[in-house]
Amino acid sequence: MSIVFSKENLQLARDLQSLTDENVMFCYQCKKCTLGCPSAYAMRMRPHELMRAIQLGLTEEIYWSGTIWICLSCETCNTRCPQDINILRVIDGLRELAISKKFEYYNPHPAIPALHRIFMAFVERFGKVYELGLALLINLRMLTPFKDIDMASPMLMKGKLKLFPHFSHGTKELRKVMAKIRELEGAR
Amino acid sequence: MKYAYFPGCSLSSSGYDYHLSLKFVAQALGIDLIEVRDWVCCGASSAHATSHLLSVALPVLNLSHVEKDGFEKLIAPCLACLSRFKAANVELEHDVDLKKRMHEIFDYKYQVKVKVYHPLEVFFEIGLEKIRERMRKKLTGLRVACYYGCVLTRPPKIARFDNVEDPQSMDSIVRTLGAQPIEWSFKTECCGVSMTLTRSDIVLKLSNDILREAREVGANVIAVTCPLCQANLDGRQRQIEEAYNVRYGIPIIYITQLMGLAFGAFPKEVGIQKLITSPRDILGSIGLM
Repeated sequence: MSIVFSKENLQLARDLQSLTDENVMFCYQCKKCTLGCPSAYAMRMRPHELMRAIQLGLTEEIYWSGTIWICLSCETCNTRCPQDINILRVIDGLRELAISKKFEYYNPHPAIPALHRIFMAFVERFGKVYELGLALLINLRMLTPFKDIDMASPMLMKGKLKLFPHFSHGTKELRKVMAKIRELEGAR
Repeated sequence: MKYAYFPGCSLSSSGYDYHLSLKFVAQALGIDLIEVRDWVCCGASSAHATSHLLSVALPVLNLSHVEKDGFEKLIAPCLACLSRFKAANVELEHDVDLKKRMHEIFDYKYQVKVKVYHPLEVFFEIGLEKIRERMRKKLTGLRVACYYGCVLTRPPKIARFDNVEDPQSMDSIVRTLGAQPIEWSFKTECCGVSMTLTRSDIVLKLSNDILREAREVGANVIAVTCPLCQANLDGRQRQIEEAYNVRYGIPIIYITQLMGLAFGAFPKEVGIQKLITSPRDILGSIGLM
């Protein structure tokens, strides 16, 4: 594959910098991020390759690889990066861009952003996460309704999973905050 | 000593045993835990994957309640909550622009005066001497692999606690309790929890690595500090054994439960019966159950 360096190719790195304050151009491919990454084995594009791809502006390849959704947010890469790039923040930036309307690329792992959406919907509804409901809804979304039933049943028996959601009295304030953030982000 | 206490979503359901044992240990050490008024979810790993502003705003919402009520110290026992709170504090300290935006969103202007602690940090501040004073039983015979979890010490700029790659705080507490902490290299490896519902295969692999290593170094118990690690390593242990055709049976016990037992609590008082992989044999063999 030949890549032509042009202004358009630098656009992705620039967009990310304005969103996250992180400059990916500092990356010199030492691979410490990939070597420490616990989920690199499951990624089609590994963290150091991702950094290079951002430098080169390979937006489509980045999103097609699904790497940003396989990241576990364990912060090992940030800790070890000799150039002090906050790689997780960069990945979060890519996730934010993917959710905003600007990007509509194929996502090989649609269930993961769906989980985040369901999670935040529960938070907005109850103020807290409703673990059982979250598991049920994501299982339905993935078309595997009985997944992990062998894990859930002993937890239910021991009272470790609550059947019904808790409701926080701070929810009203929380909803106001979330509405305000949506407004602010819509304006940006 | 008064601390605001943020249990988080996990400790009110899947991590209820952590909540019980933490309360017991806190009482024994003279720590007053007062639950944060009207607390809401911190957003965990989902908020920062959808909106950066939201991932700061949710912790700030809780922190401003703490500050308004006149507390200066907050205990967050769940690592997901802990890291979100600490990150929000550090970001607000350094980013004036972000602070301005937060003040736009909230009526109350949060002044970043609340310090956030993990229970381990508090125990350490109180000192091993005081822990030794409170002990009623020695946990001799337990070989404990201390599993700190991914974000307790990471990233160092935010966590500001213990050694990043080879933390020692839990090991020294375990040693004080009379048990034998075991040196191993998986102290801060990730168990994969944010993928637990969507990509369970990754979680099974990572958790299997941790359990296998613990068995290889000869541990008979893994001590944890986070309800999410516990749910993965304990709740999924049966699945891991099936998937990798091995047999572990290693109980995953909260450090606060171990401390509670050493302080003379009945196993039920610190929620031992709620563990899925039963520690009955191991605790029985040293006369604790």
